[in-house]
Amino acid sequence: MAEFLINSVGFPEWLAWTVTAVVAAVLILNVIAGGALVFIWAERKIAARIQDRLGPTRTGGRFGWLQSLADGIKLIAKEDLMPEGADGMLFRLAPYVSFCASFCAFIALPFAFDFVGQRLNVGVFFVVAVLGLEVFGVILAGYASASKWSLFGAMREAAQVVSYEVPLGMCVVVPVMLAGSMDLVTIAEKQAGWVTNWYLFHDPFTFVIFWVYVTCAVASVNRAPFDLAEAESELVAGFHTEYSGLRWSYFFMAEYGSMFLVSALAAVLFMGGWNGPIPVARLVGLSEGTGDTANYFVRLLGMANLLGKATLGVLVMMWVRWTLPRLRIDQVMTTCLKYCTPIAAAMFAGAMLWQLMLPGGVAPGLSRPAGEIREGWLEGPGGRSAAARSSAVAGVLP
Amino acid sequence: MSHVADDPRIIEFDVRTDEMLVNMGPQHPSTHGVLRLVLRTDGEVVSEVEPHIGYLHRCAEKIGENLTARQWIPYTDRMDYLAAMNMNLGWALAVEKLMKYQVSEKARHLRVLIAELGRIASHLVGMGAYGLDLGTFSPFLYAFREREKILDLFEEACGARLTYSYITVGGLTADLPPGWLGRCEAFLDQFEPIIKEYHALLTTNAIFVKRTANIGVMSRDLAIEYGCSGPVLRGSGVDQDMRRDGEAIYTAMYDGYAFEVAVMKDGHYPRDHEYPPVPADAVLGDCWHRFFVRMLEVVQSMDLVRQSIDRYSACKGPLGEPLKLAEKIPAGDAYLETEAPKGQMGFYLVSDGSAIPWRVRARSSSFSNLAVAPELCRGCLIADVPAIVGSLDIVMGEIDR
Amino acid sequence: MIPLAAIDWHSVFFFLFAALACGCAVAVVAAENVVRMALYLVLSLGATAGLFFLAGAEFVGAMQLMIYVGGTLVLLVFGVMLTAQAPFVSIKTAPGDRVLAGVIGAALLAVLLQSAFSVPEWRKPAAGRDGEPAATPLGMALLGTRVDEASAGAPGGVRSGYLLPFEIVSVHLLVVLVGAAYLARAKRRRTPRAIEVAASMEPPATVAAHAAVGREGSRGGSVLAGGAR
Repeated sequence: MAEFLINSVGFPEWLAWTVTAVVAAVLILNVIAGGALVFIWAERKIAARIQDRLGPTRTGGRFGWLQSLADGIKLIAKEDLMPEGADGMLFRLAPYVSFCASFCAFIALPFAFDFVGQRLNVGVFFVVAVLGLEVFGVILAGYASASKWSLFGAMREAAQVVSYEVPLGMCVVVPVMLAGSMDLVTIAEKQAGWVTNWYLFHDPFTFVIFWVYVTCAVASVNRAPFDLAEAESELVAGFHTEYSGLRWSYFFMAEYGSMFLVSALAAVLFMGGWNGPIPVARLVGLSEGTGDTANYFVRLLGMANLLGKATLGVLVMMWVRWTLPRLRIDQVMTTCLKYCTPIAAAMFAGAMLWQLMLPGGVAPGLSRPAGEIREGWLEGPGGRSAAARSSAVAGVLP
Repeated sequence: MSHVADDPRIIEFDVRTDEMLVNMGPQHPSTHGVLRLVLRTDGEVVSEVEPHIGYLHRCAEKIGENLTARQWIPYTDRMDYLAAMNMNLGWALAVEKLMKYQVSEKARHLRVLIAELGRIASHLVGMGAYGLDLGTFSPFLYAFREREKILDLFEEACGARLTYSYITVGGLTADLPPGWLGRCEAFLDQFEPIIKEYHALLTTNAIFVKRTANIGVMSRDLAIEYGCSGPVLRGSGVDQDMRRDGEAIYTAMYDGYAFEVAVMKDGHYPRDHEYPPVPADAVLGDCWHRFFVRMLEVVQSMDLVRQSIDRYSACKGPLGEPLKLAEKIPAGDAYLETEAPKGQMGFYLVSDGSAIPWRVRARSSSFSNLAVAPELCRGCLIADVPAIVGSLDIVMGEIDR
Repeated sequence: MIPLAAIDWHSVFFFLFAALACGCAVAVVAAENVVRMALYLVLSLGATAGLFFLAGAEFVGAMQLMIYVGGTLVLLVFGVMLTAQAPFVSIKTAPGDRVLAGVIGAALLAVLLQSAFSVPEWRKPAAGRDGEPAATPLGMALLGTRVDEASAGAPGGVRSGYLLPFEIVSVHLLVVLVGAAYLARAKRRRTPRAIEVAASMEPPATVAAHAAVGREGSRGGSVLAGGAR
């Protein structure tokens, strides 16, 4: 984008880079804030439909699509109460800690080939590490609230998140191993082509580990049936019992942001990222270097792909939430330590062996060798080398 | 002494932990009203639960000593407000017992019809709210959707949706409006297949079974010792149902009705309908069984409603008028327990021969059922407390009166 | 308008992160509340991770986030647990300890500064920031192959890498893990107290017993209730 501004619009270089940085930051912020609004609305509608209700119908016309905005205004206008015995500084800080962690992880998430805030060569690692920081806000909130219910919620969250990071990490490592890179962009690029090239269908082990990932991801973002930290029937509202108004809504934005993030991560790691099930762009003859406009179009298509897949993941989480009862804390830990971790470890070993024995993938006749597609995308006719492009992308921070 | 030291239950930790006292309620999402439970917890483990009651005490019994028998009917509504019809019936029958009064045949069948519909409505709330206690929201609304239809029927019959005062001393306040029976049958036909959905969402759901099976196990003896009754008692395998084992004036009401008490006998539940199998983890007397008994009773009550519809429509002649508002009650005393949805609801009255009873007392089933909660909750996890208390299906209005 | 082009953004961010890291480090020492200390420590370590990212060492930065910042999480949890009963207990340091700690800290800082400034290459800014140590060579080196050195034509072919240190560290960590599990496990002891407790309490025994027995505890009812089955 910066290059485009410099070359076509004639901005001076410093302005171009600054504008680019601001646009990127605003876009990411909007994905979370706007996305959270949309998802909260969607959750209300979906919950309502599952429960034989209508959900919001009035605010903003037929489908109540402005309901979240109205709620947001209400929350802003609401008094931010703080318990008398609370630790003021930590109490105020906690929602922002959660929100920032959730927000920061988006920096490394690619939406399409070039649409990435900051391309990191350890993207996966970064996302998982930053996502794990969200729990800090929850613990601080639980501690600072000076409420026993909050404390229970915080301790549950700590135990749960720390435990689930282990199997989650193992699940994430498998695509990394297949792609030979921790760069999210590279991982997604390697799955380009037909749907059979997705790592989900790479071999039986990856297929199983995808579902382990789904379980762990739901648990690590505290969604039902693993929403023990806020378990409303046991802990009143868990860690955010004492929160109200805008501070409370920050926790929710963080939650929905994280939900979207783990879904997007699943899409990138297992479902081809921005590559659709059918390589449309490739079939119609578009490829890197066909021209700036065509390039842009291809990427927009890719972004729609990724957003669609991630949204699908979020919708599944909502479906699960409104269907299943909640597990108990010891059952959650059992699920993690007795089932998810060993299964993930076994699948990891299996995928590794498969890769050694059958490097071509599950059915070499059906799926095109991943490498060939990758070359086609990265170094197509007239295309620049991947290295050159990555250095061009690299600089939101000049 | 050495055998004591070898006791495997005595386990010492290096890390000494402190206990914490936590108030669950009276304002808590899953204490079913204004129950206050004081939990003594060590981490997530609850070592002691102490229920505190009385937040909804309204001196109903004392009020009953200042009103005539029929005037007190609305107060019985407000005891178990989720099964007000059955409360009306209990009091009406107790007074009728003292007066040695017999209602007409038509009124008898109508009472069965209404009481069993009330049982379905009450169990629907109990079932839905139990799902809520375990963290699933949707079954609650499915249950309330069906309950609404029962309330619609009740509203048509007596004009009220929650506190009916329909069944009263000497009969019922009014006969059914025309076409009511058809609508009732239509409801039953529509409701019957839906029960499968409840079984899918709750009874046989893997997480639900994990949360309820082998939790809060109450032995047969414990249940009897604490005076538990209703589904809580039958969930422990005690074969007792006032509709069959009660006093003559009450059992006469169900004379000629075919129903099998929902209790596990010889290792299986009644096989009058198709029910899901008992999961392997479930132990007789645990939360799952208490819940399952309630689900069976919904089906059983539907059968009874169908039977009573037939009998009621076969009855010729008038329904009969209820007694006068200030009918004199002969001197003496009477106590009668009826099978309310939540257990055996007993009413006791002493009369000095005037229209106003000299003493009125009520024996609440929820009270006894709640009393056993501390026993069941000992050593469970915090998450099990709502699961156990929810499986007892208490109503604070009835406990505090 | 400020000439944004004139600003060396790299330096700005460096100073930002450095100030944050140092300031929070001081705050850790100055704070009196355990949980706040842990929070400042998180911020300080997080800012250090930011410095790593700024230097292009993304792998190390992510490592810092994952291990140090994540590890502080456990510290935080302990802080919460230890102070949960009496909220916000403050930890006061004696003035003498402050002086002692200051002296030791200053000495350490002096040593570090001395050794840092004694490296001639570090005295002037590095030529380029695009060193970009990718994760792959690092991983390969830990597994025993120095791909970077091999390609550079190091004498003697491919060097053996860091497999041995890696394994030693792994085994060491495993030992620590096993040791921690051993120390934290529930023990059965024949202390006078246990006997006394056992004597005074018949069935469903002490709270400790309940805690340890965990799920078994709730089955206490069913044990009493053998007849029901």
